Parts: sequence; C-alpha cells; structure tokens
Amino acid sequence: MIGMLPTLAEASRTSLSRKPALFALLLVFVALNTTGALAQQHLSKRYPVRSNVRVELKNISGTITVESWNRDEVKLSATMESPAANVSPRQTADGLIVDVMADNRGRNDIGDVNFKLQVPVNSSVDLETKRGQITVSNIRGGLVRAHVSSEGDIELYGITASQVFAQNLIGNIFFDGQFSRGGTYQFQSGKGEISIRIPSDSAFSLVASTPTRKIALGPFWNDGFKSLGDGRKYVGDVGDGRSSVMVTTFQGSITFLRK
Amino acid sequence: MNCDKCQDLISDFLDGSISHQDQSYLSAHLEECLSCGEVRDDLQSIVGFCRTQRGQYEAPPNEKALWLRIRNMIEAGASVATPAPAGSRRGFWNNWTARSWELSFPQLAAMAAAIVLIVSLSTAVGLRRWQSGAVDGKFQGSAQNGLSVGSIDVRNRISQQQQLISYWNQRVEYNKARWNPQMRETFDRNLAVIDQAVNDSFDSLSKNPHDEVSEEMLNTALNEKLSLLKEFAEL
Repeated sequence: MIGMLPTLAEASRTSLSRKPALFALLLVFVALNTTGALAQQHLSKRYPVRSNVRVELKNISGTITVESWNRDEVKLSATMESPAANVSPRQTADGLIVDVMADNRGRNDIGDVNFKLQVPVNSSVDLETKRGQITVSNIRGGLVRAHVSSEGDIELYGITASQVFAQNLIGNIFFDGQFSRGGTYQFQSGKGEISIRIPSDSAFSLVASTPTRKIALGPFWNDGFKSLGDGRKYVGDVGDGRSSVMVTTFQGSITFLRK
Repeated sequence: MNCDKCQDLISDFLDGSISHQDQSYLSAHLEECLSCGEVRDDLQSIVGFCRTQRGQYEAPPNEKALWLRIRNMIEAGASVATPAPAGSRRGFWNNWTARSWELSFPQLAAMAAAIVLIVSLSTAVGLRRWQSGAVDGKFQGSAQNGLSVGSIDVRNRISQQQQLISYWNQRVEYNKARWNPQMRETFDRNLAVIDQAVNDSFDSLSKNPHDEVSEEMLNTALNEKLSLLKEFAEL
C-alpha cells in the first residue's frame, strides 16, 4: 500500500503535465463564466434625452429610486438578483421605456431587480412594480406616478409635478412637495399611513376618506370642511381650492403636515 | 365633462393617446362617475386580456376530442348526403336561382308593405331600448351622486364586479404555480387586506344600507381587488 502512494501521485502529476493546454482551457472557461455572471448582475447605461423626457419603468419586484440631476441625460442603473433576468431599456421619441415584465415574459423567476434612475429635473416619471419600495426625489415635470400593486412604501420628496398618483396596498405613502394650480393629486393605500407635507399657503380641494376616522388636517383644517359618515370622509376647500387632492386609505391614517 | 364625452375618450385613454388636459378631465370624471368607471374597467379587462394573450388563446380542455367530434360531424353529414338520389339533390340555391321571379303588382305591393312594416317595428323596438338604456344611465348617475342609493342597484353592481373578480381569480390560480413562494405569500397577504376592506364595507352596509361612504369604500375596495388580480394574473 505504502509503496503504491508515490506511484499514484506521480501518475497524477504526469497526467496533468501531459495536458497543460486542457487545464489552462478549463481555467479560462471558469474565469469567463464567473465574469459573465457578474456582468449579468449589474447594468448601467446612459441615454441622452430632452429636458422634459418621459420615463416609464415597469418592474416586477425590487426597489425603484429616481433622482433628478442637471443634465439632459438619463442614467439607469439596475442590480439584478438573478443572472437570468433581462433588462432591455428602449428609447423612443417620447423618452425611455423599461419593461421588466415584457423583457422576461415566459421566464419563471427572475428575483428582485433594483433600479436607480437619474433623470432631468423636468422629467415625467411613470413607475410601476408588483412589489417593492418606490422613492422619487426632486421632480418638477408633468407627471409623477408611483404604483405598487402589492406591498412597498412610496416616498416622494421635493415634488412639484402637476399630476401625482401614488398607490400601494400595504405600505406607507409620504408626499413632500407642492400642489400646482389646476393639478391633480391622488394618494391611495390599502393598509398604510398617508402623510402629506406641503407649504402652509397651499390651496386645494380635498376629498379624504378612511374607515378608521384617523384624518388629521392639522393647519389646513377650516370650518368649511364637511364631515361625512361620522368622520370617515372629509370634503372641503383650502384656500381657493385650485388643485384637486384625493386621499384614501382602508386601514390607516391620513395626516397633513405643514412644511 | 359628461358621460358621453367621457366614454368617447376612454378608448384613447387606455391606448395612451389622449392629451394631458383631456386626461386630467377624464380622470376627474372617472373618480366621480361609477358607470363610466365600470365602462373603463370592462374595456381595460378586454384590452388587457387581448394584450396578455397576444393572439394566443387557451386551447379547449380536450382539443383532440373536440376536433374528433367536428370531423365525425362533417363525415356524418357527408355520409347522409351521399346516398340521396340524384334527382332530390337539387339544393336550395339551385331551386332559388332556377325559379321564375316574375311577380304580379299585388305581390309587389304586399312585399313593399311587409318591408315597411318590418323596418318600422325594428326602429320602434330599437328606440325603446335606447331610451330605456338612457334612463338606466341617468339612474346610475344619480346613484353615484348619492341622490338615490338603492340596495338592489348596489347588489347588481357588486354581482357584476364579482363575476369579473371570479374570472381574474381563475387566471391567477392558473398562473400561481409559476410564482416563487415569496411572491405567493405577498399576493395572499395583500389579498387578505383587500378582502378585509371589502368585508368591513359589507358589514357597514348591512347595518346601514344607505351609508354612502361605505358604498364608496366597497366600490374602491372591489376595484382594488380586481386590479390586484389583473396585475398578478399577468405574472
């Protein structure tokens, strides 16, 4: 037995030394595969666009973060949990479309895809995900739409868009911004707190409903407000009611805060 | 914006080819008008279904059996036609074309009178139906404004919505097996939240059938449920 050991080691050494090319090939193959997998997990692209571009993003699962910058350019970064996930942004005459749903039709599970977008400050953003948090900061374009089909918080900071739609089922909604004259603002949650922080001189027409009766209008309360259904719904104008605001939550509170 | 104008624009709205101004007017109207909201939802389901299927529709449960039955029926029809004697095989078309079409004046007059009678009757029936439809629309409009809330009307609307929900529920169940466990849990958890809202609104309505806030909440919750099912059905 002992006498056999050097023979075996020698044999294996001989075998390796006989096939150096094969061994090197194997190493290259492993290295290429590893690099490929890593490249699949992260995507970063830049698109030259006009200043009032429209960006549409339809995700399945994962976070979406949108920030503005002072460039006529969209930078899209995506981190994909699964190497099988495919993200193929499409630039159109109107702007940029990213549809993870369509790009991965027929694939079973692609895991989370987390997006970070940097867009011109006057962009319109239309964001959808089945699950995951959406955060949008400092957008002054025509539209900000954040739609979470199931659960995920929505946080909108420094928004002065004329149309804002924020909707989720489980999760909080936070809006910090201004209501534009003639604008439309809708916030709806199934089970979550909705907080709206606006300047004290804001003027809007409000319809706020929640069966929990937790509606705090704070500094925006006035005697013109009409309470319906024993405090489950408030309807009324603040100032000249120049923009339309609708807030609904089934199991949560509605709070208005002054900036 | 009135309902007619709104319903004219809904199709363009769903296609995304509507101006921003029209979109804001339409959105405002849809928030207030339940009947237009229902039209929008119905159209959206149809468009969504067609988009999801992309021209490929589900085969019947036993496709081979269906084709076999069709073939059998065709063959049976052919075998019945085959043994018929040559003389009796003159078809309807042959008889029709071979016939002499010389009509007398009274025959022509009778035919013209019959045509006038049929056209008048069908116009009258059509007008009556159209008017009753308009009345229904007005009734729905008043109901959603809270002027007349009939529990039967509410039940009808709920029943219609439940049918849609049941359809989308089936599609979700069909696709659910493909989801990962995390997605299934998320869906179930969210559906439970919506069901809770629906049940709470039902409870309030059963205590006070004229409670407009509960009726609104119920409508919103049912729409939300439908929307959740539709969105997860495409996964």
